[in-house]
Amino acid sequence: MASIAVLGQFADIQGRPRKLWTQSLSWVLFLVGVFVYSQFSIVRHKENPEDRVVPSVSQLYQGIKSAVLEPAEEDDALDANASTYQRLTHSMLAKDTLSSAGRFFAAILLLVPAILLGLHMAVFPFAEAFFLRFILFFDKIVALSLLPILFIAFGIGDWAKIMLMVIGVAPTLMLDTYNLAKAVPREQVVKAFTLKSSNLDITYRVVLKQILPQIINSVRLNLKPLALFLFAGEMIVSSDGLAYRIGIMRRHMGMDIIIPYILWVAVLLFGMDSLLRFANRRLHPWF
Amino acid sequence: MVLAAQVRVKEIRMEKKSAPVEIALNNVSVSYPVTSSGRKTVLSNINLNIYPGEFVAVLGETGCGKSTLLRLVLGQEFPMSGTIVVDGKHVNRIDSRCGYVPQKYSLFPDRTMIENVMYGPENAHCGWLARLLPSYRTFKRTLRIQAEEQLVRMGLRASDLNKYPHQLSGGMQQRVAIAQALMMKPPVLLMDEAFSALDPSTRASLQQQLREIWQETRPTVLFVTHNTSEALLLGTRLIILGPHREGSQESNVLLDMPLPQSSDTISVRKQSTEFHELREFVKLRAYGASHSNDELRVVPELTERGEAL
Repeated sequence: MASIAVLGQFADIQGRPRKLWTQSLSWVLFLVGVFVYSQFSIVRHKENPEDRVVPSVSQLYQGIKSAVLEPAEEDDALDANASTYQRLTHSMLAKDTLSSAGRFFAAILLLVPAILLGLHMAVFPFAEAFFLRFILFFDKIVALSLLPILFIAFGIGDWAKIMLMVIGVAPTLMLDTYNLAKAVPREQVVKAFTLKSSNLDITYRVVLKQILPQIINSVRLNLKPLALFLFAGEMIVSSDGLAYRIGIMRRHMGMDIIIPYILWVAVLLFGMDSLLRFANRRLHPWF
Repeated sequence: MVLAAQVRVKEIRMEKKSAPVEIALNNVSVSYPVTSSGRKTVLSNINLNIYPGEFVAVLGETGCGKSTLLRLVLGQEFPMSGTIVVDGKHVNRIDSRCGYVPQKYSLFPDRTMIENVMYGPENAHCGWLARLLPSYRTFKRTLRIQAEEQLVRMGLRASDLNKYPHQLSGGMQQRVAIAQALMMKPPVLLMDEAFSALDPSTRASLQQQLREIWQETRPTVLFVTHNTSEALLLGTRLIILGPHREGSQESNVLLDMPLPQSSDTISVRKQSTEFHELREFVKLRAYGASHSNDELRVVPELTERGEAL
C-alpha cells in the first residue's frame, strides 16, 4: 500500500518530496544504469569470457588503472621506480585531459569578445545595424562544413580545432546575449541616462551587470556544443586529446578505455557546469 | 456643485510669471506610422510653458498622449514638429536635467537599495579611473551617509537598505526610486504613473511624502497620472490632455488651470469641499458627459489662460 501511495505521488503536481526523498530519488537512475550494465556484461561474459564490447568490472578496473597510471602508447615508458604522482601526471588520461582542456579553455576565452559583441549590438543601434544581419546569416552556416577551410587556413594544429569550436558556438552566444540585453527594460536605460551615466556605464554597469547571470547560464548550456565541436576536430585530426584517444581505442575495440573516458568527459563537463552554477549563485544573489 | 467649482476655477488668477520658463513646448506635434502610408497623430500643436517650482499634474484618458508628452520632455522621443526646451536648452537626448520615476522597472535589480540611490551621484562625481583612487573610498562613505539620510526621509528602515529590489514591496521600491532621482537634485522631476501600481494606503502615504519633499526642495515636477484625485491633491497646476473633437485621436490641452492650495496636508485637502467640487468639475471636463456633449470638452477661456501662463 505504501509503495502505491509513493507511486501516486509521482503523478501529483502538488507533491512535495522531503529532502531525503529528493536525494534518494536523484540517485536511482544512476544505480539502475550500473545494474543494467553489470547484468548485461555478466550475460555477455558467460557467452564469451574474452568479450570486449561490454567489459566486466575487472576489465574496466584494469582499463582505468592503465589510463590513470600509465603513459600513452606513443610516449616513453616511465621508470619502474616512478612515484604515484609522476605516474598520475604523465599518464595517458592526464595528457589527453590537459590537451583537450587547453583547447577548450582557449575557445572559451575567445568567446568573450563574441559575448561583448552581442552586448554592444543590443545597446548601440549603429552596431546593431552593422552586425545583426550578417551574424543572423553566419549563425545558419553549419560549422562542421567549414572544417576543410579551417584546416587550410589554420593548419592541422590546435588552432583549427579551437576556431571550429569558436565558430560553432560564437553566433549562438552572440545572439543569446543580444536577446538578453534587448530584454532589459528600456526604463532602466532611460533612468540610467538621467542618473548621469555614460554610454559605457550603461553598457557595462547597467545592462551587462543585469544579464551576466543569464549569460553564464547560456555558457553553461553551450558547454556541450563546445565539447561536441572539440571532439569533432580531435577525432578528425589530432595527436592527443580525449576524443583522439576514444577514436584510437575504437579501432582496437578498447571499450575498457572508451567507457571510462566517456564518463570522465561527462564528469568534467558536469563539474564545470556545477562550478558555474555555484559561481552564479554566489556572485549574483539577486538573480 | 459643478457650476460653483467652474466659477471658482475661473476666479483663480495666475500670477504673472517673471521667472524663466523651465519647460517650454512650442507647437509640438507627435505622430506615429501605423501603416505603410498613414500616420496617427497623438499630440497636435501643444504649447505649454512650465515654470520653475511648479507641480504640474497631467491628466487624461488612456492613450491620450500623457506619457508621450513626458517622454518628449525627457528626450526619449522627438516631435514631428515643434521644439522642446528644458532648463534653457533644446532637448535632443536624454540627460540628467530631468529626474525620472517610471511606473515600473524603476530600480536596478542587481543593486541593493542603498546602491541604487548612490548610483547617480557616483556617476556624476567619479569616472571609471577615479574609482581606482584611494579618495574614492572616502567619497563613497560620505555618499552612503547622504543616501541613507535620503532613504530614511522617504520612510525606509535602516534594515532595508541592503536589500535588493525584489525583496521589497512595490511601495518601498517606488520610495527608493524617488530617492534615487532626488539624489541628483534635478531641476525637473518627471513621474510617469509612478504610484498607479500601488495600493491605496501606500499611495496616500507616498503622495504626502512627495508633496513634502516638493515643498522642501521645490523641483519642477511633471506628474503624469490617470487618477483625478491624485492630480488635484498633488499638483499646483492641472493640465488635461484629450481630443478636442469627438472621434478625433489628436490630443491637445483641454484644460490648463492652477489648482487652489488650501492646505499642505493632503488628507486635509482631500476632505475640503473645494476638492470635491473640483474633482467633479474635472471629471466632467475630462471624461464625463463630454462624450455625448462636445461643448463640454472645449473650454476655450481656460485653455487660452493656460497658454498665457
